[in-house]
Amino acid sequence: MGVLEMKNIRKSFDSLQVLKGIDLEVKKGEVVAVIGPSGGGKSTLLRCATTLEKIDSGSIIIAGETLVSTSNSGLTHYTDKKKLQEIRSKFGLVFQNFNLFPHFSVRRNITEALIHVYKKSREEADAICDSLLAKFDLSSKADSFPCNLSGGQQQRVSIARAMAVNPEILFFDEPTSALDPELTSGVLKVIRELAEEKMTMVIVTHEMAFARDVADKIVFMDGGVIVEQGPDVISNPCNERTREFLSKF
Amino acid sequence: MSQLSSTLVQLASGLRFTLGIFFLTLLFSIPLGLLVARGRMSKNKIVAGLVRIYISVMRGTPLMLQLLLVYFGPYYMFGVKLADLDVGPFKYRFVATVIGFSLNYAAYFAEIFRGGIQSMPVGQYEAAQILGFNKAQTFFRIILPQVVKRVLPSVTNEVITLVKDTSLAQVLAVTEMFTMAKNLASSQVSVVPFIVAGVFYYVMNGIIEIVMNRAEKSMNYYS
Ligand SMILES: Nc1ncnc2c1ncn2[C@@H]1O[C@H](COP(=O)(O)OP(=O)(O)O)[C@@H](O)[C@H]1O
Ligand SMILES: [Mg+2]
Repeated sequence: MGVLEMKNIRKSFDSLQVLKGIDLEVKKGEVVAVIGPSGGGKSTLLRCATTLEKIDSGSIIIAGETLVSTSNSGLTHYTDKKKLQEIRSKFGLVFQNFNLFPHFSVRRNITEALIHVYKKSREEADAICDSLLAKFDLSSKADSFPCNLSGGQQQRVSIARAMAVNPEILFFDEPTSALDPELTSGVLKVIRELAEEKMTMVIVTHEMAFARDVADKIVFMDGGVIVEQGPDVISNPCNERTREFLSKF
Repeated sequence: MSQLSSTLVQLASGLRFTLGIFFLTLLFSIPLGLLVARGRMSKNKIVAGLVRIYISVMRGTPLMLQLLLVYFGPYYMFGVKLADLDVGPFKYRFVATVIGFSLNYAAYFAEIFRGGIQSMPVGQYEAAQILGFNKAQTFFRIILPQVVKRVLPSVTNEVITLVKDTSLAQVLAVTEMFTMAKNLASSQVSVVPFIVAGVFYYVMNGIIEIVMNRAEKSMNYYS
């Protein structure tokens, strides 16, 4: 069974249908890259999977827990508040623009949820924080504030923050799009390392070379549907729309 | 000279009430303002509408009128005689002053807080939600500290205005500093008590500016 199972997801904003029946399965340890032109619904898909948006119909199962399902009679039902909190502890999300907490130091950005949501002791939380900072090459930055870090460092902190709570799956929405080109490599390196450790990840990205290298499965999305998916979508696209999109890179 | 020193002593005794109104108003109006701001942003249309009317009335009518209403209202509307009542060590006229000021300033603070809260990027809420923070934790740990930084300059303005507004308590015959100054000026046939009172107000606001500047600086560690 997959860590993430999304079936027949439909989502509209007012009259605009943004997701038109998406099926996506992500297995444990799998890295899925989602590519496609902007406006195609990639962010919306991630936001639905991470409870930031509610779907109109379909079903989402995360780590074996049903977040939402649509019955045969067409009623879409989300799980209760308590279960929702539990499911939220199973995934992390890395935003395009980081969304670090500016008033907290790097350390506190990473430990705050561990201490106040996951009820870990300060010592435990600090230990988790220190090992993540070491791993992400940020050890000297524990006491810095986000505004004093480069964009690349901020994004690595935000990945550390998401990893700290030990999620079963990590979502990335264009993690390098807000960065200057010379800062992207450090972030991509960190994601690559996570992939080598068999972290389950779904990554929306425009970095085609990176996606091809790191992903076990590529999903090409356009116009609210998955046009094609598979391990070789980038190196060997079948669909005309995919080819046209890839020709721009 | 002895007249000046007796002026000082008497104004200082009025200063007790001025400071009392000032601090008690801040104590009550800031939390109340936060509550009113939340009500104003409520998804419940009735709550939001009522709060909106409350803010509009509080800001749209003279504070002096509101003070009179709080003081005399219970008697004229319900025949309840509170005017002679003592609440602990305080006369009702003083209590009514603090209630009136708190209700009024809560409305102003609410609008400042609302502006600050609504200026927060939605990404802060989303990041907090994904990390599992509940609504209260998100508000008090993530949002509010940043809002405080954003609204501090506007709050300083209100606090300075409040110092000067305390003189309005004279309509309820609270013997705060301004009332004292007025009485002394007429008995001494001199403007000196007014000038001294002016210096007192000015010094108070000077202290407030220093304190608030410090507070702003202390939050400069992030942007
Ligand atoms: N909150 C929203 N309200 C209305 N329309 C939205 C909202 N979010 C996204 N959309 C629309 O949904 C479509 C898909 O957007 P998005 O998921 O951001 O695409 P992508 O991430 O692939 O660029 C776009 O047309 C966008 O304008
Ligand atoms: Mg997007």
